[in-house]
Amino acid sequence: MRESIEAYLLIAPSLFGFVAFLLLPIIGVFVLSLFSWDLIGDPHFVGLANYRTLAGDHGAWNALDNTLYYVLLNIPAQTVLALLLAIALNRKLRGGKVFRVLFVLPWMAMPVALGIVWTWVFDPRNGVVNHLLALVGVAGPNWLTDKGWAMPVIASVNVWQYTGYTMLFLLAGLQAIPQTIYEAAEVDGVTGVQRFFRITLPLLRPSMLFVLVTNVIGSFQVFDTVYVMTQGGPGDSTTTMNFYIYQQAFQLFHAGYASALSIVLFVLILLVTACQFLYFRKRTVYDFS
Amino acid sequence: MLRRSLAAAVTCGMIALTAACGSASSSTASGPVTLNYMIWDAGQKPAYQKSINQFEATHPDIKVNIEVVAWAQYWSKLQTSAAGGDMPDLFWDHLSYLPQLAKRGIVSDLSAKIAADKVDTSVYDPKLLSQWTSGSTVYGLPKDWDSIATVYRSDALKAAAVTAAQLGASNWNTTDGGSFVALLQKLTVDTKGKHPNEAGFDASHVKQYGIALEAPNGQQDWWDFGVQNGCKLQEKAYGTWTVNSPACVAAIKFEQDLMYKWHVAAPGTVTNTPNAAQLPQILAQGTAAITFDGDWDLTSFYAGLPKGGWGATTLPSGPVGSGTVYNGLTDAIYAHTKHPAQAWELEKWLASSTSEKIVADAGTVWPGIPSLTGGFADAWKQKGVDVSAFETETKGTTMGYPLTTTGSAFNTVVLKDLNQVWLNQMAPQAAADDVTRTANAAAGSGN
Repeated sequence: MRESIEAYLLIAPSLFGFVAFLLLPIIGVFVLSLFSWDLIGDPHFVGLANYRTLAGDHGAWNALDNTLYYVLLNIPAQTVLALLLAIALNRKLRGGKVFRVLFVLPWMAMPVALGIVWTWVFDPRNGVVNHLLALVGVAGPNWLTDKGWAMPVIASVNVWQYTGYTMLFLLAGLQAIPQTIYEAAEVDGVTGVQRFFRITLPLLRPSMLFVLVTNVIGSFQVFDTVYVMTQGGPGDSTTTMNFYIYQQAFQLFHAGYASALSIVLFVLILLVTACQFLYFRKRTVYDFS
Repeated sequence: MLRRSLAAAVTCGMIALTAACGSASSSTASGPVTLNYMIWDAGQKPAYQKSINQFEATHPDIKVNIEVVAWAQYWSKLQTSAAGGDMPDLFWDHLSYLPQLAKRGIVSDLSAKIAADKVDTSVYDPKLLSQWTSGSTVYGLPKDWDSIATVYRSDALKAAAVTAAQLGASNWNTTDGGSFVALLQKLTVDTKGKHPNEAGFDASHVKQYGIALEAPNGQQDWWDFGVQNGCKLQEKAYGTWTVNSPACVAAIKFEQDLMYKWHVAAPGTVTNTPNAAQLPQILAQGTAAITFDGDWDLTSFYAGLPKGGWGATTLPSGPVGSGTVYNGLTDAIYAHTKHPAQAWELEKWLASSTSEKIVADAGTVWPGIPSLTGGFADAWKQKGVDVSAFETETKGTTMGYPLTTTGSAFNTVVLKDLNQVWLNQMAPQAAADDVTRTANAAAGSGN
């Protein structure tokens, strides 16, 4: 009894934070999604009307499409790159620690500031990318105002920013794999490629699960890079769910509808995350002993 | 990233808590009242600060805190502040948003106070005052006005043997472009020194464009071509949008043609909001020889271009004649301010001839009181710039801001669609149709 009181006291601060700043707002957003509200006047109850609007809203479906496209561009590239970096840095190489810091630096920088810098880099007239392409005789495209290029550019900026951070977790995971397993494998005559696919990758799954779950959630919620680099354009080719929610709430002042969109995004992320857990649950070993 | 958002949530919560504490303590404290005054142009702050210093000296019981929020965030900030009950007591108001704010009861009606204090409203330009008056309701006293004129780089004109007077007297039409396009062809050069009307001109390697045009809604570009072409954005004040009428579509098409048919205007890749440089920067970088801009940017041109190296002249005339967009701002008093009496004192001061003279004489903005306009012109004459073109424009045909309760829907869809027109990704007619349909639909939905 006393023990459980102590335990509750110990988790109280974080529980308070969770309830006050996550649970209550989520409930608040859900309630708001049943209302029509312009942020100033009185909200009035509309039932599920916002959700019905959503079903026929071309803009919302387009934003969903764009978000999925962004996730598909972002996650595989980021994960594979981070894994390769982690394996490289796991070797004892000179200056390894310096590289570790270097790779994590982008993650520590302000996304908005990075967005502005990358906008300059990709500027079609004065940017360094097109300048370099011109040196080898290639006329670079108008990166951020081209419907085909804008989203890949945004995704590449985010890959660049978060790969180092992802790499850190995978590196920690790699270092947790006992050397003895590799030694035993060597005795059994396992080759390099087999070592990677039969030992390293399976034993890296706890880190992989964490990295994928958090990165996929983050990717579904992409906003700041879009806001700074394209404002969802050209047209609505880079309007992601979160940017669309922002537009609805704070440019068009449809707070109720924006809440309904948020709930849909929340449920979608929940489903994707649940699938990831289900996939990894049966395939993950946490105990290496 | 999850952890990051958690941290953000906690920080926001902490800010909210401290903010709540802050406002609680200030309301119980006695002594001077602090008014928050929100504006969107940092360039105008020094002049207003100077005026407010005088106000504070004569009103020791009132302190004024000027808060600058950039235009891009200003209206979102205002709306969320209203939702959170944390509004500035006084704020710059714009006709593009006034009807929405008025409809929601955010802006005070000043008519009773004007009558009680016998404020003489006949000193203001009636054209400006009437825009801020609805029946017997007055939403603000005109603090300034603005119009659009041509701003040019002298060295670029000289190199092309074009004079400012020629530009000001030029005409455009939709068939051969007119003398305006002919002048712009002289001002446009590619990296090999060829002009767009010469054989071998390379449109993808332009060193200097004749003109750069940019505006988030159209005020400094296609609205002006529009008024010169007889385009009306709406059938009447608070009426339906008519952006897809032939006169408006032709104006949009003409601007697109300047970019992609005549190759004399910088394309959207160079100019589109939000990522492109501002017009004064585009001129300062030498990307374009001339631009259309409002007088509120004069200070930026002065800062970015060499002294005596630039000037202003009137806009060209179109098929229907000359014309410009004529607009002005007021200060709005938040309807639920805790300090209505003090806020009114500040409103009265800022709209007084003493304060408007301070701001005009600093060359910051044209005053809402016509008798003071000379002060603004003189301030610029002393800096070597003749700004009379802006005033000349207002004597001719002018177009005011459309009055509508669907301003935010219109502004959002215009930015999205017209940006595509300037990128040559959308036809003017299709953009105009979409803008008209979307903005009119917003009226139907009550937002």
